[in-house]
Amino acid sequence: MLYVSIKKRLGACEGGGDNRVRDKEERTFNLEVEFTVPGGVTILFGPSGSGKTTCLRAIAGIVTPDAGRIALGRQVFFDSATGVNLQIQDRPVGFVFQDYAVFPHFTAEQNVLYGVRAEGSKAAKRKRARELLQLLGIEYAAQQYPRELSGGEAQRVALARALASDPAVLLLDEPLSAVDVKTRERLLKEISALQQRTGIPFLYVTHNTAEAKAIGTSEIILEEGRVAQVC
Amino acid sequence: MIWSALRLSLIVTVVATSLVVVIGTACAFILAKGKFRGRELLDAVITLPLVLPPTVTGYYLIVLLGRRGLIGSYLYELTGWSVVFTWWAAVIAAAVMALPLMVKSARAAIESVNPQYELASYTLGKGRAETFFRITLPLARRGIFAGIVLSFARALGEFGATLMLAGNIPGKTQTMPLAIYETVVAGENKQAQILALILTALSLTAIYVTNKLANSRTAGLY
Repeated sequence: MLYVSIKKRLGACEGGGDNRVRDKEERTFNLEVEFTVPGGVTILFGPSGSGKTTCLRAIAGIVTPDAGRIALGRQVFFDSATGVNLQIQDRPVGFVFQDYAVFPHFTAEQNVLYGVRAEGSKAAKRKRARELLQLLGIEYAAQQYPRELSGGEAQRVALARALASDPAVLLLDEPLSAVDVKTRERLLKEISALQQRTGIPFLYVTHNTAEAKAIGTSEIILEEGRVAQVC
Repeated sequence: MIWSALRLSLIVTVVATSLVVVIGTACAFILAKGKFRGRELLDAVITLPLVLPPTVTGYYLIVLLGRRGLIGSYLYELTGWSVVFTWWAAVIAAAVMALPLMVKSARAAIESVNPQYELASYTLGKGRAETFFRITLPLARRGIFAGIVLSFARALGEFGATLMLAGNIPGKTQTMPLAIYETVVAGENKQAQILALILTALSLTAIYVTNKLANSRTAGLY
């Protein structure tokens, strides 16, 4: 179980997952949230600028909260009281970005291979990468570069890559906002199945109600930097 | 004289460019990613030789590296050797003059890499060094390569600072641009012509290659 309790004063350029929103956010606001993420797919829901992405980034270690505590089970990621602040690299967290962020100079397979954290021979790592590509149903695209992939395929590569690092929790930042409606429906089912298969908690940020309904097993609603509702 | 000057020019340029690539890329990375006070001041100091008269840059190099210079005096005391009037002086002069072009180009290239890729790499457990060499550098490679080509061309054409620090000793520190100057002064126009044409051809190639790289980047390969 992931416990998050953070305070963060946000400037104009720190919030928001996307630049259009960022430009409009010419104000500072205070993020002050406390919630726990159980197993299953937990939705972090809220309008643009409500602090969803910042929460996700704080959990991953990309942004540092002003105060609070973030812990996964007994492993403390961040605790302002004791001065603990694990580096991004040291947090067993997988991150799936809104615009995929698959490395453009690597093939799909190389992308996943780059993420494989497990020690072992090259052959073992390749095998693991292959398994993940298979799991996501894109082994046919293994040798293709991201520019040759559709949005749905690129996001599958990103998912496979994130899982390759054997995370203890997977954070998804509006992962389907850039894919078309048909692909979105399929990927929603796949992500749900993926969660059940891996058994790790997924924290899924979205501002799309239909998406939240379709995939969420629990839901945290943020409004203006506060937790408005948990269900 | 032509061939010894050409040979020396190529050696000096290759060594200077190699130094500039390593030092320049490191500086570019620090300037692009570092968050420290005086960052823009450091950039300004590195850029200075681009706008200063080369003789002034050469003068500062003498002040630093001369036998009685700020660094040079220690070196002379320790080893009895001074860099001034050696071919190493030509290398240093060329490197200092070419460094701004490398740093400008590489910094812009590194800054243009979407930070999302670096963050993605960190979340996959990769450290800063591995991320730089496997993600940032390959993605910035066009701009870095353009910087290398420009630095090479600038180092090859270096005249003023070289004359100040290395002098104009045929067979020892006389590079192509210095040889051209001397042949013209001596009225040997034929030789000057050949040397000038060789330098022009090399520089033209450099600009052509750089433009080509810049264009294919804007064409959006990535």
